[in-house]
Amino acid sequence: MTDKKKKIEDMSFEESLKKLEEIVEELEKGELNLDEALKLYEEGMRFSDRCLEKLNETKQKVEKLTREGDRNYRTEPFSLKNSEEDSSK
Amino acid sequence: MLINSTQEKIFTVSSITHHIQMMFNTDPLLHNITIIGEISNFKYHSSGHMYFVLKDDQCQIKCVMFRGNSQGLGFEPTDGINVKAKGEIRVYERRGEYQFYITQMTEAGKGALFAAFEALKEKLKKEGLFRTEIKKTIPRIPHKIAIITSPTGAAIRDIISISLRRFPNLHIIVAPAPVQGDEAANQIAENIDFLNEVLPEIDFIIIGRGGGSIEELWAFNEERLARSIFSSKIPIVSAVGHETDFTIADFVADLRAPTPSGAAEMTIPDKENLVKQLRLWQGKLNRIIRHILELKEQRFVNTIENLRYQSPKNKILQHLQTIDDLVGRLKLNLKHIININENILIKYKEKIITLSPKSILSRGYSICLKIPEKVVVKNINQVETNDKLDIVVQDGTISANVSGKEETKNDR
Repeated sequence: MTDKKKKIEDMSFEESLKKLEEIVEELEKGELNLDEALKLYEEGMRFSDRCLEKLNETKQKVEKLTREGDRNYRTEPFSLKNSEEDSSK
Repeated sequence: MLINSTQEKIFTVSSITHHIQMMFNTDPLLHNITIIGEISNFKYHSSGHMYFVLKDDQCQIKCVMFRGNSQGLGFEPTDGINVKAKGEIRVYERRGEYQFYITQMTEAGKGALFAAFEALKEKLKKEGLFRTEIKKTIPRIPHKIAIITSPTGAAIRDIISISLRRFPNLHIIVAPAPVQGDEAANQIAENIDFLNEVLPEIDFIIIGRGGGSIEELWAFNEERLARSIFSSKIPIVSAVGHETDFTIADFVADLRAPTPSGAAEMTIPDKENLVKQLRLWQGKLNRIIRHILELKEQRFVNTIENLRYQSPKNKILQHLQTIDDLVGRLKLNLKHIININENILIKYKEKIITLSPKSILSRGYSICLKIPEKVVVKNINQVETNDKLDIVVQDGTISANVSGKEETKNDR
């Protein structure tokens, strides 16, 4: 548990899920006092929320990128319909 | 087996076939040979084995290439193409046919391209571009991915629709590039470089195209593209052609997908599954904490029960009971002690009674006292003639005078 100090907001989905799994295993051992158990439970819920958050973080967006010069570009929505129309040309 | 009756050589079908088989097996010319010819009557059996004939303008030979050998073939064998096939000729006894059992096969017509491919593959391999230990991992939950391919092909449609079906809230950036022709490799490579420069936060890039001939896939065999894939900080997934097509890009990429749709299946997680998995862990967590709480509560109840038992009131009651108990026992003991002492007393009383002088007197003895000193006379020397004496008997005193004395003779 070397990444214990890592903030939960910085954790990836995998890290949070791994934490959640570790916490469940720790609780399953049943060697904790009530305070510790409740604290771990809260932590586990936070990690599980974090996982869900990670899954829903992004909005669906499909864009076509057009390069304009060395470092510039513009994007426009890309739809599969368009590509089909294009391909039928 | 030879049966000799009327000078005829008679065989069973099996024995003559075995003999022919032997002839083939023992002829070194038929082993490890390479045959050049055109594929015809090609059949790709569902078992994975390939059956076809190789022919030239005059002859043909039956060929078979088993699944174990046909996998990873760098091209799709079809009727009409020229190939260079390596293997051995043996007899298939059940049909009485001789066949060419092919272990390796290359396209003969594309000799120059294949040579270039092999040479570049060897060169890049030596440089370490294919090393598995430097390959980057593809993030499990992608947020933003890029696809470099033709914006009009089937590949882009497959990748996008499968990706969004698996993970609906995904940000996909399509960077269009031609995927065949002279400029293709350059354009794809430039796009990789560009995305690394301006959108380094991209989780990974899929480069690829649908199936085609070796010439059509050639862009993915060019060194320029290989170099860009290798230097990309963003992980690269290559998805070129069909499962049997292997390109240089596949070797350099961090992940090789068999097809464009395969790339989406491999890299984009099924969100529904993930959520299910997460719910499972959440449920587990809830069940465990409930269980722990129940256990602790039970312990609490037990402790309270114990505490109640240990309360002062209960203690006092217990002590009172102990006192009652002790008093009871004390009473019993006291009675016992008194009884014992009473008995001792009675014994002593009896003893005292037997020892008292009075009881002696009652049996006829008397006490003789010299007057006036009232000393008990125990021997004759204490008195003289005419001394006065008191003789005490059971019921009174007799006054007497000493008239004489005589010593008792001891003659036992």
